[in-house]
Amino acid sequence: MNMRPVVKFILLAEGFAVATYALGWWVVPLIAALWGLLSRDEARARVAAFAAMTGWASLLLLDVSRGPVGVMASQLASIMKLPAVGLYFLTLVFPALLAWCAATLTPTIRGGRAN
Amino acid sequence: MSRRIVAAVLLAGLLFVGFHSIGPVPPIGPFLDPANGLWGTAAATNFPVLQDVAVAGIRSPVRVLVDDRGVPHIFAASEDDAFRALGYVEARDRLFQLEAQTRAASGRLTEWAGKSLLATDQESRSLALVWAADKKFASYDRSSPGFKAIVAYADGVNAYIDHMRPRDLPIEYRLLNARPMKWQPIYSLYFLSRMSLTLGFNDATVRRLKAQSMVGKAAADALFPVNSPIQQPIQPGASSAPRYDFAALPDPGVPDSTSTVAAALEQSLEHAIAFRKPTESADAIGSNNWAVSPRRTAAGHALLAGDPHLELSLPSVWYEMHIVVPGRLDVAGVGFPGVPGVVIGFNRDVAWTFTNTGSDVNDYYAETVDDDAHPSRYKLDGEWKPLEKRAEKYLDPHGDVLATDTILLTERGPMRRQLGKWLSMRWTLYDNSHEPDNFLSLGYAKNATEWLDKMKDYVVPTQNGLVADRMGNIAIRSSGKYPVRPGDGRGDVIRDGSTSASDWKGQLPVEKYPFAMNPAQGFLASANQQPVDPRVNSSYMGSDWYSPWRAMRINALLRGDSAITPDKMRQFQTDPGSARADLFVPWFLSAAASRDSVSHDVTLREAAALLAKWDRRYVRESRQAILFEAAMAELASRTWDELRPTGARATAADRLNYPEAQLLAELMSTPRSSWWDDRATPARETRDEILAASLRSAFDSLRVAKGAVTADGWLWSSTRRANIHHLLRIPAFSALDIPVQGGPSTLGPSSGSGTQGPSWRMVVELGAEVRAWATYPGGQSGAPASVRYTDRLAKWTNGMLDQVLFPRTPDALDRKRVISTLTLTPQ
Repeated sequence: MNMRPVVKFILLAEGFAVATYALGWWVVPLIAALWGLLSRDEARARVAAFAAMTGWASLLLLDVSRGPVGVMASQLASIMKLPAVGLYFLTLVFPALLAWCAATLTPTIRGGRAN
Repeated sequence: MSRRIVAAVLLAGLLFVGFHSIGPVPPIGPFLDPANGLWGTAAATNFPVLQDVAVAGIRSPVRVLVDDRGVPHIFAASEDDAFRALGYVEARDRLFQLEAQTRAASGRLTEWAGKSLLATDQESRSLALVWAADKKFASYDRSSPGFKAIVAYADGVNAYIDHMRPRDLPIEYRLLNARPMKWQPIYSLYFLSRMSLTLGFNDATVRRLKAQSMVGKAAADALFPVNSPIQQPIQPGASSAPRYDFAALPDPGVPDSTSTVAAALEQSLEHAIAFRKPTESADAIGSNNWAVSPRRTAAGHALLAGDPHLELSLPSVWYEMHIVVPGRLDVAGVGFPGVPGVVIGFNRDVAWTFTNTGSDVNDYYAETVDDDAHPSRYKLDGEWKPLEKRAEKYLDPHGDVLATDTILLTERGPMRRQLGKWLSMRWTLYDNSHEPDNFLSLGYAKNATEWLDKMKDYVVPTQNGLVADRMGNIAIRSSGKYPVRPGDGRGDVIRDGSTSASDWKGQLPVEKYPFAMNPAQGFLASANQQPVDPRVNSSYMGSDWYSPWRAMRINALLRGDSAITPDKMRQFQTDPGSARADLFVPWFLSAAASRDSVSHDVTLREAAALLAKWDRRYVRESRQAILFEAAMAELASRTWDELRPTGARATAADRLNYPEAQLLAELMSTPRSSWWDDRATPARETRDEILAASLRSAFDSLRVAKGAVTADGWLWSSTRRANIHHLLRIPAFSALDIPVQGGPSTLGPSSGSGTQGPSWRMVVELGAEVRAWATYPGGQSGAPASVRYTDRLAKWTNGMLDQVLFPRTPDALDRKRVISTLTLTPQ
């Protein structure tokens, strides 16, 4: 079994997590763009999206272990008139979309084909 | 190709909403960021168990042990280090509150909320709160302990702001898309100015003049008298029982058109008054304190209790702390976030607390100006004097100018145009004073006499300071600056501003302040009532005093028990009994019986039967308290109908302009007074007819609104609930609809809106070792997601208290009760 794609995915997800932790949310499209430039994988945009989502999910889990994330989710959900799960969903979809868009666009620079 | 277009458009959109706010929605990038955004903020509400932080200005390491009630115990080598540490930990717990209070006081809320709060800001600035604080700050002795403390405190707050990680940003800043501003030492004075507005701004002048415009001067003077008709003063007299000085009230007279200025004045002050006292009658608000001499306590130690009532908020207006500077200071209690030090609390020898005196310390003057449309000078003693002009700029959240304004000031204070007149205001707040020094010094007192001495030059807001010491002394004094006016000395009139003969002639000497120490009765109590019997001391200190119902109740409880324990003191704080109900219920029942013999009214009989079953206690399960309150409201509305425009229906706002309930009690002594007449009917009603009609009408209305008496809607708990709003009034961050015991005029009065209440409850026993119990509604943390945001609420609701930890050294604090240790070290 070829573990290489799995390792790559984990490293990419960790990259999203560490870079977000160190620099902020805005690095997500930058890393995804870089990934889009470097990767020859047909599914690079989808991989970037899932990796970004996984990276942020791991940070979210870390927060859950450290403090009252659930309480805050329900308070904010009440303010925004959303179900609490909607906030978690937004938190995971937002980086995924950013990463997918950036990884979809960057092959254009290289002259490649979007997948 | 289409996929790339979709990706490009989507990316642009995501980046836009990621970086920019759209309407009330903050930029979602930093908001959703799980490392540095709102989720990180949730994680950051739990402090590290051990943390070392290097802070500029700290000279020796300061240890801050936070106990499981969230209280920081600050152990420092000097006061300077201690207050720097206090600034740091208060910012860590309450950063948003610090800034919100400052902005409210200085009229800078538009910079957060835009135009919607422009009127509120304009009102704050027109009251010259900042001008007053600026003057005090400029005159502050730089070497005084108070000044040094506010500077060190500011350094501590700023050190925390500098050390903040992105995830530490409080959630409110994220919702407002704002960043914390740096803390200036003067902000402590801004807060105290605002507190003076809350506690030391008396609107008796306006109420009395408004009444004068409707029923004439003689009647208005009687309805809003200088002296309470029921005397139960703070300074005890020969008897500890109340005295009823009831006399016949003059009939309603001819409207006095010269006082119509009051209507406009009231309108202009509407915001300020609402800001200060949100639509509650005096019976629904108020603070209490009492102390008992050792000879009347079970353990033979002096006891002290205090529960200041303020507008309830989350986070609380109070922050609990314990500060130790070995050999110098060892003080615990609560202070205002933003002002260094303990305001109400205790040290190893003395305990103290305050209630608001509510004295009249602000006056209005009609000024003569050079140009009615654009005045630049005002006349005083025949000479034209230049007006001070203060340009005010209101900014929106983007920093753009939203509005400009010019505040005009005479020597007396700010001047505003009302109904074609220019009125300036003199207020003790505008005098130079240094309250931070007063409050700080209290922690060093060794006995009651020393404590009183430290309050001698205290100015504003006037407070009934109650103190007890370990030697068994108890004392009370209504401290603060009481202006001495010319002529009849009254302050509830508008004076001629063109002559300095109208100005204050000085201030009452401390010797004339209401005062008592170790009285024969063995206890002392205050509850915002008139502080001294005018037969003993006739100095004018104010008018239109709160009815002394709470004072009567606590005096009765203390008189009736000569073996008082700390737990009884605690129980008294939520005692559901009411002196007001004790007085009025028999009148209702007697009137109902009298009318029943004439009219055989079945509904009235049912209402009276229900009321007669009442034990006059406002407990949650009572079904009669709601009837009594509705009947009282109806009684006031029918009796004081002359204080409404003819034909106008009574509104909730009208109740605020009615005389105190003690005036209704006084009126009972004249059953045929023309005040009893209901102008809406052709007949001339008597007292008993109005009492019976009020009870019947209340019963009928309640049955329509709530159903049968057995329905849950009749339960007192369904009517009176505490509503503790978040500072931004966000429901998700608020604690709403909390059923509480107590009602109007009980020791724990609850208000209709539920927004007022006991903001802090404390009981202290002054034995060989001082022991204290306390709580407040909310918690030490200002972070809504934190477990310490509302962890005290359940006990507060049920009238329970926590024992306050008071260790002499860090090692004396039980390790099991320490949740976090912070060490601040020199940089």
